[in-house]
Amino acid sequence: MSLRLETIRECLEGIIPGHIATCDRAGMPNLAYLSQVEFIDNEHVALSYQFFNRTRQNILADSPVRLLLTSHLTGAQYRLTLHYLRTEAAGPLFERMRAKLAGIASHTGMAGIFQLLGADIYHVLNIEQLPGETVPPPPPPVNCLNALRRTVDRLATCNTLECLLEKAVDCLEKEFGIAHLMLLMHDEARGRLYTLASRGYPESGIGSEIPVGAGVIGICARERTPIRIGFTNSEYAYGRTVRDGIAADGQADTLETAIPLPGLPDAASQMAVPISVAGRLLGVLYVESVSDLHFGYDEEDALVAFAAQLGLAIVHHQPADDLPDEPAASEEAAPAVAGTPLTIRHFAATDSVFIDDDYLIKGVAGAILWVLLSDFAERRRTSFTNKGLRVDPRIRLPGVSDNLEARLVLLQRRLEERDAGIRLTKTGRGRFSLAVDHPLQLVES
Amino acid sequence: MLDSDNAAFIQTGVSISLASCAVDRLPCMSRGLGCKLIAGGHQIAIFIKRSQSAELLDNIRNTGRVANVFNLPSSNRTLQLKGDDAQILPFDPADLPVIESHIPHFLDEVIPFGMQENMVRALFACTVDDLVTVVYTPNAAFTQTPGPKAGDPLGTAS
Repeated sequence: MSLRLETIRECLEGIIPGHIATCDRAGMPNLAYLSQVEFIDNEHVALSYQFFNRTRQNILADSPVRLLLTSHLTGAQYRLTLHYLRTEAAGPLFERMRAKLAGIASHTGMAGIFQLLGADIYHVLNIEQLPGETVPPPPPPVNCLNALRRTVDRLATCNTLECLLEKAVDCLEKEFGIAHLMLLMHDEARGRLYTLASRGYPESGIGSEIPVGAGVIGICARERTPIRIGFTNSEYAYGRTVRDGIAADGQADTLETAIPLPGLPDAASQMAVPISVAGRLLGVLYVESVSDLHFGYDEEDALVAFAAQLGLAIVHHQPADDLPDEPAASEEAAPAVAGTPLTIRHFAATDSVFIDDDYLIKGVAGAILWVLLSDFAERRRTSFTNKGLRVDPRIRLPGVSDNLEARLVLLQRRLEERDAGIRLTKTGRGRFSLAVDHPLQLVES
Repeated sequence: MLDSDNAAFIQTGVSISLASCAVDRLPCMSRGLGCKLIAGGHQIAIFIKRSQSAELLDNIRNTGRVANVFNLPSSNRTLQLKGDDAQILPFDPADLPVIESHIPHFLDEVIPFGMQENMVRALFACTVDDLVTVVYTPNAAFTQTPGPKAGDPLGTAS
């Protein structure tokens, strides 16, 4: 094959619909327009199967297949020869295509009509560029490969998880020029993703949650595959989908709903990329834009590679507390403080914590905070270790994959945002200290 | 075969594609640059680029069978015509205005979807000596507008 498919992927986005030609057993040709062609690798593509039409009948009758694709950037036309292999009606590829098709349907006035029945997978036998005039492509807005290289260099300088998360969102913003983004971590035990960092929203939304399986982010997490949509559509508007999902599974009480999910109300382009290491989902990167087709295959490739690097770095920074327990830098009891007491209320059923009647956090992070403040109130204790928390029976961490370090960052950030005079500060590998500026009144409800 | 509505439709700013199959069923297609009705509306003439269509033209010479799709981007209205008597004729330079007037109509259709005009004009750029005309009599017509009626044959009319 003279042309590599990866070099003409802009033709697959459906901006100029492709043409598909097949032939029936009697030798009569058939033509149709394609909504979508999905790149799998240099030798395979998937076409959307939406209707049982003549094209479908011919394919099932062993017709050879030809596509005519056109680049919206250059006007170059390509003729591809394909051989049908199989159809997938579930799984990562299917979900990727279904999400993308929802955007295309909405953009072309076909919402509710385009429904993906299957992802037809084809072997690409040949690609031929047709002779004809073309125009030079416009320069890309970002050199993704170079942005990735600079990002990876910057991540390598971090020595804490907190620094890593901060650099990660900073690089997405500055190196990739992405203005709206979120980094969510996976709570395996509860089947949730919680927002740990964000950029580009009026409220950070740190601590807000999405169930696995809901909306672009949740489907990305469930299928462990990137989901990329190029046009505004209601089907994958994650805010609404999340609420629907909560109502449907009757878990409104356990999902974090007090902290609103950040997000653009009118996002046109959306992309969610899983952060996985060794088959384990650690979290999801989510980026969005009000522009159509803001993220292409190159951005997807770069963010997938970035997520892989970030995932390894997160794992590297997680087990710090498994190192030998360092002697405490200072076990001095905190001096007594004066002033108006803060009332800290804890609801054991959900581990929800309120500061002076204002909601702060729930779940594991809520349980951790309650333990820290209880020890502080009883013994004026200010120095803690990850290892100590992990074995503390009052916290009930959900096993080995507890993401304790990430939960501490979540708690630290929620406290910073609340600015109530309670702070957590990292003091070493697997160690941190608690500072409290007011007298505390703890109330167990 | 074509009623007046569909006859008018295929001469608006539609995207045009023409296909034919080899004897081993391998199909081939090319983009049409314009079309016109001839023989009192009983036949259709499609203009394509010879340099992009060697295989398609061979198939037409060997089988005479063609499939021809017309799609209007703004409405998704899509019509497929088929014929089995296709012939290849030299391009008549007197037909050049058909192509020239088709381009602005097509531009009006695709510019709202974000297409760049210079790219679209490159798609239609041609020289008269590279053009060829394929003429056929439609003997079947199908609506292919996406939806529940996609693929239905059109009733014969006029």
